[in-house]
Amino acid sequence: MNLNDYLAVSGLLFAIGFAGVMLRRNIIIIFMCLELMLNAANLSLVAFSRFHVSAAGLPDYNGQMLVFFIITVAAAEVAVGLAVIVSLYRARRTTHVEDITSMKF
Amino acid sequence: MMPAIYLEAIVLTLGVLLVLMEAFSNSEEKTPVAWLGIVGLTFVFILTFFTANDLSASPYSAFYHADFRAIFFKRFALLTTIVVLVLSIEYRGVVQKYVFGSRPQAGLGEFYALPVFTCAGLMWMASAVDFIMIFVSLELVTISFYILVAYMRRNAGSLEAGVKYLILSALSTGFFVYGITWIYGVTGQTSLEKIGAILLGLKVSHGPLLFGFMLVLTGLGFKIACAPFQIWVPDVYQGAPTPVTAFLSVGSKAAGFIVLMRVAEVFLPVPWINHKAVTILVALAALSLLYGNLAAMPQHNLKRLMAYSSIAHAGYILIAVACIGSRYANIAVSFYLAGYLLMTLLTFLVMAAVANQAGGDDIVHFNGLGKRSPYLAFAMLAAMASLAGIPLTVGFFGKFLIFYVAYEKGQFLLMGIGVLTVAAGFYYYFKVVRAMYWKEPADDTPVRTSPLTGATIAALAFCIFFLGVYPAPVIRALEGPPSDNPRLLAR
Amino acid sequence: MDESSLPWIILLAPLVSVAVIVFLTQGSRTISAGVSILAVLVSFVASCLVFHAPDPAGVNQITWLDFPALHVPIGVTIDQLSKTMLIVVTGIGALIHIYSAGYMKGDDGESRYFAGLSLFMFSMLGIVLANNFVMMFIFWELVGVSSYVLIGHWFFRDAPPAAANKAFITNRIGDFGFMLGILMLWLATKSVVFTEIEKSLGVSKFENLNLTAATLLIFCGTIGKSAQFPLHVWLPDAMEGPTPVSALIHAATMVAAGVYMLARVFFLVQASPDAQWVIAFIGTITSLMAASMAIQQNDIKRILAYSTLSQLGYMVMAIGMLSKEAAMFHLFTHAFFKALLFLGAGAVIYGMHHEQDIWKMGGLGKKMPLTCATFAVGTLALIGCPGFSGHFSKEMILAAALSGSKWTFAAALATAFLTSFYMVRLFVVVFLGEPKTDAAKHGHDAPPVMALPLVILAIPSFLAGYGFFISHFVPLHGTEAPGFVSLFAFLAFASGAVMAVLLYRGKKEDPIHIGLLANKYYFDEIYAALIRWTQELLARQCGRFDRWVLDGLVRLLSGGTYAAGFALRSFQVGNLQAYAFLFGAGIVAFLWYVVSK
Repeated sequence: MNLNDYLAVSGLLFAIGFAGVMLRRNIIIIFMCLELMLNAANLSLVAFSRFHVSAAGLPDYNGQMLVFFIITVAAAEVAVGLAVIVSLYRARRTTHVEDITSMKF
Repeated sequence: MMPAIYLEAIVLTLGVLLVLMEAFSNSEEKTPVAWLGIVGLTFVFILTFFTANDLSASPYSAFYHADFRAIFFKRFALLTTIVVLVLSIEYRGVVQKYVFGSRPQAGLGEFYALPVFTCAGLMWMASAVDFIMIFVSLELVTISFYILVAYMRRNAGSLEAGVKYLILSALSTGFFVYGITWIYGVTGQTSLEKIGAILLGLKVSHGPLLFGFMLVLTGLGFKIACAPFQIWVPDVYQGAPTPVTAFLSVGSKAAGFIVLMRVAEVFLPVPWINHKAVTILVALAALSLLYGNLAAMPQHNLKRLMAYSSIAHAGYILIAVACIGSRYANIAVSFYLAGYLLMTLLTFLVMAAVANQAGGDDIVHFNGLGKRSPYLAFAMLAAMASLAGIPLTVGFFGKFLIFYVAYEKGQFLLMGIGVLTVAAGFYYYFKVVRAMYWKEPADDTPVRTSPLTGATIAALAFCIFFLGVYPAPVIRALEGPPSDNPRLLAR
Repeated sequence: MDESSLPWIILLAPLVSVAVIVFLTQGSRTISAGVSILAVLVSFVASCLVFHAPDPAGVNQITWLDFPALHVPIGVTIDQLSKTMLIVVTGIGALIHIYSAGYMKGDDGESRYFAGLSLFMFSMLGIVLANNFVMMFIFWELVGVSSYVLIGHWFFRDAPPAAANKAFITNRIGDFGFMLGILMLWLATKSVVFTEIEKSLGVSKFENLNLTAATLLIFCGTIGKSAQFPLHVWLPDAMEGPTPVSALIHAATMVAAGVYMLARVFFLVQASPDAQWVIAFIGTITSLMAASMAIQQNDIKRILAYSTLSQLGYMVMAIGMLSKEAAMFHLFTHAFFKALLFLGAGAVIYGMHHEQDIWKMGGLGKKMPLTCATFAVGTLALIGCPGFSGHFSKEMILAAALSGSKWTFAAALATAFLTSFYMVRLFVVVFLGEPKTDAAKHGHDAPPVMALPLVILAIPSFLAGYGFFISHFVPLHGTEAPGFVSLFAFLAFASGAVMAVLLYRGKKEDPIHIGLLANKYYFDEIYAALIRWTQELLARQCGRFDRWVLDGLVRLLSGGTYAAGFALRSFQVGNLQAYAFLFGAGIVAFLWYVVSK
C-alpha cells in the first residue's frame, strides 16, 4: 500500500464525519462524527509520519507525537462534551438539534 | 530575570490551588477564591516585567518563543482574566440561581477557578511557535470554554449556547487539525520556523500545501470570529454567562489573532501563497465588516449587539493582517486588540452591573441610566464612543493605525469599506447612548456596584481616554527592540 | 523638579481642576470655585517663574504620533512671544476667576461654570504653548468647545443656546480653512512643527505649494476665532454669556488667539506678499466697520463687543503691515483695559440687577464711585488718551498703518475717532447726568471680591504702555512713531471725545438715529437671506437626495440585512446543522478559489 491509499481512506473518513455532522439529528451522534473527523486526521498523520523516512531508516516521530496529543485532547473533549450534552438532556429532555433553536437572529 | 515559561507554570499552580481551596475549605463563602485568583494573577502580571525575553537556547525554544510580542499578549491575557474575575464576582448572583446545589454557593468555586486555567492556555498560545504547541494550548482554552459557556446548567439558554459552541468549535478543530496534517505531510515539519524555511525553497504552487494552509486559516477564523466562520457568535454570546461572553470576545479572539499573525508571517512571504492568501484575507475582512456592522443595526439585545460588534472588530483587525509586511501591521493588530480589550470589558462590566438590577441586558434596560447612575452612564459612553472610534478615545487610534497600514499597502477597497462601516457603527453604538441620555428611566433607583467593580470601571475608562490622547507608550512597547524579532529583521 | 517641567504644570493644572470639579466636587459650588481659582493661580505662579527663567535651549517635547510620514510631538514653545501671552492669559484669567466667584454666587450651575472656565484655561494655554500645528489645532477646537459651553451657560433661556450655536458654527467655517491650510503645509513640508516648517521654508522654494493660498487658509482660522469680517457676526451675540466670560474669552484672550497664531507663524506672512495685503485689508475693514456699528448700540456689553472687534481689526491690520511688535503691543495693552471695561460693565449690570440698556442707567458715577473710576481708566486707555497705555500702542498701530498707504492710515484714524466718540458716549450716558430709572437710583458698588480685580486691572491699564513696563514683554526695537502721527492721534481722540460730550450730555434718549449702523449694516439679515437662498435651496436638494436616494439606500441595506436574516433562517431546519453547513460552505468556497487557477 502506498501513501495515497492511506490518504484516500483518511479523506473518506473525514468526509463521512463531516456529512454526519451536517445530516444526523442526534447530538450524540453528531459528536461521534466529530471524533471521526479527528481520527481521519490521526490516520493521515501516522501515514505521513511512516512515509517520511529519515536517513537512518526511522519514521519521523513528530507526526506520531501530534497523534498522541490529538487522542488525549479528544478524550478530554469527549468527557466535557458528553457532560454538557447530558446536562442538556436533563434540562430539556431531548438531544435533537431541531429542539435547541431558542436563540436566533 | 526569570524564564518566561515560569509565568504559565505559576498560573497553572494558582489554578490548581484555587480548585483545592474550593474543595477543602469549609467556608460557604466562595468569593475569596476569586479574590485569591485576582491577587495571584496581578502578581504574575507584575512578574511579566521581570521576565527575560530572549530567544537564546532554552530547551523549549523549538516550541516556545518569549519575544516581546508574546510577553505583550501574556499581559493581555492576564489583564483580561483579572477583569473577567471581577466581572464574575459581580455576576455571581445569576450563576448561583442556575447552579443550585446543597449549599447556597456550591459550584461557584469552579466558576472562579476555570478562567485561570484558560488564562494559562491563552498565555501559551501567545508563545507557541510549533503546530503541536499551538494545537494543545488552543484546545486547553477551548475545552475550558466548553465548560464555562454551558456553566449555568439549569439555564436553557446557557446550555443551548454550550452545545452550539461545543459542536461548532469541535468542527473547526477538526478542520484545523486536518490542515496541520497536510502541512506536516508536505513539509515534514511542525515547527513554524522550519516550515517557513522549506516554503521559501518551494518555487512553484503546491496544491496540498495551500489546502492545508486554508484549513488552518479556517480554524483560526473560527476563533477570531470572522465571517463566514462567525455564525456561532451571536447565539453563543447571548446564551453564555456575561463574564464568559466577555472572556470569549476578548481573550479567545486575541489568542486567535496572535496565532494567525505567527502563521501568516510564515506563509505570506511566499510569493505563490501571498497572492491567494491576501485575497482570502481581504475577503474575510470585507465580509466580516459588512456582516458585523449591518446585522448589528437591528439588534435590541446589547449582548447580541456586542456579538455582531465583535465580528465587525475582527474585520477591522483583519485589514491589518491582510497588510502583513507593512512595518506597522503588527503594531496595528496588537494596539487595536489592546483598545478592544479596554472598551469591550468596560461594556460588559457596566452591562453586568445594570443587568443585575434591571433584570435583563436589552438596550431598553439602559433607559435613563444617565439620570440613575451618571458615572456608569459616563463609563458606558466612553466605551461606546471608543467602539465607534471617536477621536480622543483609544478606539480612534486603533482604527487610525489600521487605516494607516491599509493606506501604506494600497488596500483602498478595504479602506473604503472600513470607513463606510465605521459610519454604520455610529448608528448602533449610539442607540445605547441615546437610551441612556434621552429616554426616561423605568425606575429612578441608582445602580449599585461593589467598590471593586467601580474601581475597575474607573480604571478602564481612564485608560480609554489616556491611550486615546497619548498612545505613544503602548505603541513604543509594541515596537520593541528590533533584535527581538529575527524573522522580521530577515525580511 | 527642573525648569523644563514648569510649562507642563502651567498647562495641566487647569485640566486637573476640570477633572476634580467634574468628578468630585460637582455638588459643592464653593469648593468648585476654590479648586478652579487655585488651579489658575498655580498656572500663574508657574508662568511667572517661566517668565523670569532664561529661554530654554533644547526642545521640550514628547512624541505623540510617530510614523514615517507623520511625526507629531506634544511640545511647548517658550520664547518671548509665548511668555508674554502666558502672563496675560494666566494673570487676567486669575483675576477673572476671582471676580467670577462674586459674580456667579448663587447660580445653580456654578460648578459647571468653573469647570468650563478651567477647561478654557487649559485649552487656551495649550494654544499659547503649542509648538506644532496639530497640537494647536486640537486646542483651537477645545477653546471653541469651552467657549460654546460658557456662552450657553444659561441654556434654559432662549438667546444663549442660539448664540452658542452661532459662535460654534461660525468658528467651524474658519477652522475648516485652517485645517486645509495645515494639510497643505504638511503635504509640502512633511512636518507640522513650526520651527521645522520655518526651516524648510527657508531652504527651498516649494514648487507644489501655493504659499499664498496656504497662508490665507491658515488666516481663515484667525478670521473665525478673532471674529474678523466677514465672520465677525458671532462675537456680539456671544455677549449672552456671563459677563466675566465675555471679559476673559471674548475680549482679552481667546479672540486674541487668532492674532497670536499669526504672530507665531509670522514667517509665513512674511513670505507671501499677497497674503499680507489681504490680511491688512480684512483688518482695516473690520476695525472701521465695527467702530461705526458701535456708535449706535444701546446694550453696554454689545458696545464693548463691537469695540473689541474693532481693536482686533487693528491688530490684524498691523500683522498685515508686517508690524508684529505693534500687534502684540496692542494685544497686550488691550487685554488689560478691555478686561477691565468688561468687568466694570459686569459690576454695573450686577448693581443694576441685570439691566444692560445704557439708556436706563445714568448718574451711576455717584452710586458706584469705584466702578466709575476704574471704568474711566479703562475708557481713557481704550480711546488713547495721552498718558494711558492705549495711547502708546495705538500710536504704534497708526504708524504701522501709515507704512501701508494713506488710505489705511485714514481708515485707522477714523476708527480712532469713532472709538473715542462711542466710548465717551457710553461713559457719559451711563455714569453722568441724572438716573433715568429707579434701578439706576438704587445702584450700588460691587462687593470687594469683584471690586478687587477692577482695581488691580486698572494699574496695568494705565501703566502697560510705558517703556519700563512693556519692554519686559514686547521687544519694540526703538520703533518710534513720527511726530505727526501722535498729533493726528491726539486730534482724533480729542475731537471724538468732545463731540460725544457735547452731543450726549444730559440727554434722555439717543439724539441721532442711523438705522444702517444700529442694525449692524444688516449683516445678520443679509446672512439669514443668504442662508435662506443658498443653503436652504441646497438643503432642499439634499433633503430630496436624502429622501429618495439615501433613505432608499438605507432601506435597501437594512432590508438586505433582514433579507439575509430570512435567507439564513430558512436554513434552520436544525439550527446547529445549518451553522455547520454554512461553515462547510465557506470552506468549500475558499478551497475552490484556492485550487482554481
